Amino acid sequence: MPEVIVPIGPHHPALKEPVNFKVIADGEKIIRLDLDLSYSHRGIEKAAEQRDFIRVLPLLERVCGICSHSHTTVFAKGIEELMQLEIPLRAQYVRTIIAELERMHSHLLWLGVAAHEIGFNTLFMWTWRDREAVQDTLEEMSGNRVHYGMNEVGGVRRDLTPEQVNAALARLPQLEERVKKYIDMVNNQKTLLVRFRGIGKLSKEEALKYGAVGPTARASGVDYDARRDDPYLVYADIPWNVVTDTNGDVYGRTRVRIGELMESIRIVRFCLENLPEGQIRVNAPKTAPKGEILSRYEAPRGELVHFIRTNGTDKVERVDIRTPTLANWTSVAMCLVNQNLADIPVIVAAIDPCLSCTSRIAVVDNHTRRAGVITLDELRKRSRARFQRLE
Amino acid sequence: MAVPSAGVSQRLVNWARLKSPWVTLFNSGGCNACDIEVIACLMPRFDIERFGILVKGSPRHADIMIVTGHVTLKQASRLRRVWEQIPEPKYVIALGACGASGGVFHGLYHSVNSVDSVIPVDAFAVGCPPRPDEIINAVVTCLNLLKEDIAHGGKEWRQTNGIKNIKNTNEIREATL
Amino acid sequence: MIGPITLDFVKEKIQDIGTAEQVRSNRIRITTTPGHIRDAIKSVQELLSCDRLLTISAADNGKTLELIYHLTGPHRMIISLALELPRDAPEAPTTSDILPPSGIYERQIHDLFGILFQGRSDLKKIILNEDWPENEYPLRKDWTPAPDTFYGGIKGEKV
Repeated sequence: MPEVIVPIGPHHPALKEPVNFKVIADGEKIIRLDLDLSYSHRGIEKAAEQRDFIRVLPLLERVCGICSHSHTTVFAKGIEELMQLEIPLRAQYVRTIIAELERMHSHLLWLGVAAHEIGFNTLFMWTWRDREAVQDTLEEMSGNRVHYGMNEVGGVRRDLTPEQVNAALARLPQLEERVKKYIDMVNNQKTLLVRFRGIGKLSKEEALKYGAVGPTARASGVDYDARRDDPYLVYADIPWNVVTDTNGDVYGRTRVRIGELMESIRIVRFCLENLPEGQIRVNAPKTAPKGEILSRYEAPRGELVHFIRTNGTDKVERVDIRTPTLANWTSVAMCLVNQNLADIPVIVAAIDPCLSCTSRIAVVDNHTRRAGVITLDELRKRSRARFQRLE
Repeated sequence: MAVPSAGVSQRLVNWARLKSPWVTLFNSGGCNACDIEVIACLMPRFDIERFGILVKGSPRHADIMIVTGHVTLKQASRLRRVWEQIPEPKYVIALGACGASGGVFHGLYHSVNSVDSVIPVDAFAVGCPPRPDEIINAVVTCLNLLKEDIAHGGKEWRQTNGIKNIKNTNEIREATL
Repeated sequence: MIGPITLDFVKEKIQDIGTAEQVRSNRIRITTTPGHIRDAIKSVQELLSCDRLLTISAADNGKTLELIYHLTGPHRMIISLALELPRDAPEAPTTSDILPPSGIYERQIHDLFGILFQGRSDLKKIILNEDWPENEYPLRKDWTPAPDTFYGGIKGEKV
């Protein structure tokens, strides 16, 4: 079977993170995918073995810029469970508030990036402008727009003052109104419907078989959410719903993420209104007893898993991080099969990769032995042109 | 050193460069927080496009390169290659703690510790990640440097003037006052 | 949704594959051997209805290298299959044909720990750069960077 190798590092102007994967194609149809993740490999797991529990948290926070709170929370709660430490209820509420605010800013970011991929720059600008309201709230509460540094083993480092709570509550109604407008747009706007429907479809069986997680899996009807299945923080005690969809394509993933945005706004409002009094931290022992734990967390992109092993000292012996994007890559590879080359930007963006790519696409036509190089910008133009013809 | 006065076309080019610098981004393997803050600069809240600053994909169209993230071993050679493709006059801004010294990743087995050891850097922006305000400040610093370089006819004046390695925006502000 | 799985149910189903213990209210750990791992995964998938692989964790405990496969299913219980491999010749059979997501984890573990997964032909580098020397596995406990080796970066320059 004649094969064409298309090495891709799509140049994602919005999220420029380097990863390289080769798409092996037969003409315009894709056959399979090869992956190279070494661009951003920093050796964090090795370094974490040499830092004690206070110093390792800023390192783990910087595994990813968008889900930084997820990594510190999942690690801190794992260590706390190994130490058999119960953290105060107020600290858990604060962690939940920051976690859901992080989910909100991540989903708004994704919506803008996905809109940019199909050429809908207006939505890109609107969602990122609305995202600034969330960033302002996070900056008031933690001091930084990204990398909040709220967690420590034993609780949270900063408390929420009544002024911060009221300011945050005051921003929520307008945000809710804007999100309702996006729901309306996704359900009725012709541009989004045509571009997203039918692209990158994953059936429920395929989603389970290839190990998809997060909104990518929930859009195919797979009903897994680590906040409900392995409850942590206060998710077991407050009213909220898991959002699933049955479409399974990029349109379904959009609907799931916007649904989760609404749920997050409700959770944040509930937590801010019902914030219990009390301490925000307890004194944690310096060392953790020998043990092993699998700590799970529902990050904005999917389920994040830390496998932690301790050996009685003040450092971990091993922390094995499995990020949700790594779990989703296999399903991306599979749902790209038999799709067109021009659909690659949209499908890759739809899993909300916490890795993007930089380099050019080289297309080698096996039949004529001609080689050409096209950038992802060109591919994106082709993709937009193709869809303009469909309308 | 006396500089011959520039002709009309050269003055036009200098004016265009100062008034509308084009920027290219290069992520050398970090956590992406700096990239998000750069993109936030383009968004309606900070909106650097009203100053004529465009973010272009290709290094060949750029005046200023913004390097985000800390340099991994894999990206070091690519960073050098991309930098070589930028036509003169070119300026490099290294963002954040990672750009200056490797940040939290200093000394790890897959890292080159600072952008400075791979390519010459003209401005460092502080923060982890630096706020969009700091990033705009760094771009303005580069523009001030560009003005000085044009007036002196090149970049050599920095060595002789005692500004060997410009480390932060405050130093440049004092030098150009 | 199927009800939660009990330890006795698990012990009954995986009798000749390994020993099970309950390590947390929702996690059961089964110790098995590299020779049995493929059968173990098939049994866990069929008899214990686990349809999702969470991750494959690898660790170095000083004496041996360990691999732990974590699977879960609609019953919300996590089944961890743990095996140990000798340091000098760590080999395990691949499971990427019966469990597709494990392909990517196996490549990563091979790069970082040097565990060879037999039965697959495409175990190329995925997470270390192309100039990284062979047979250097950074996440092993006894590895430190050797001073005169080139690990990547720009050749000929000390970056």
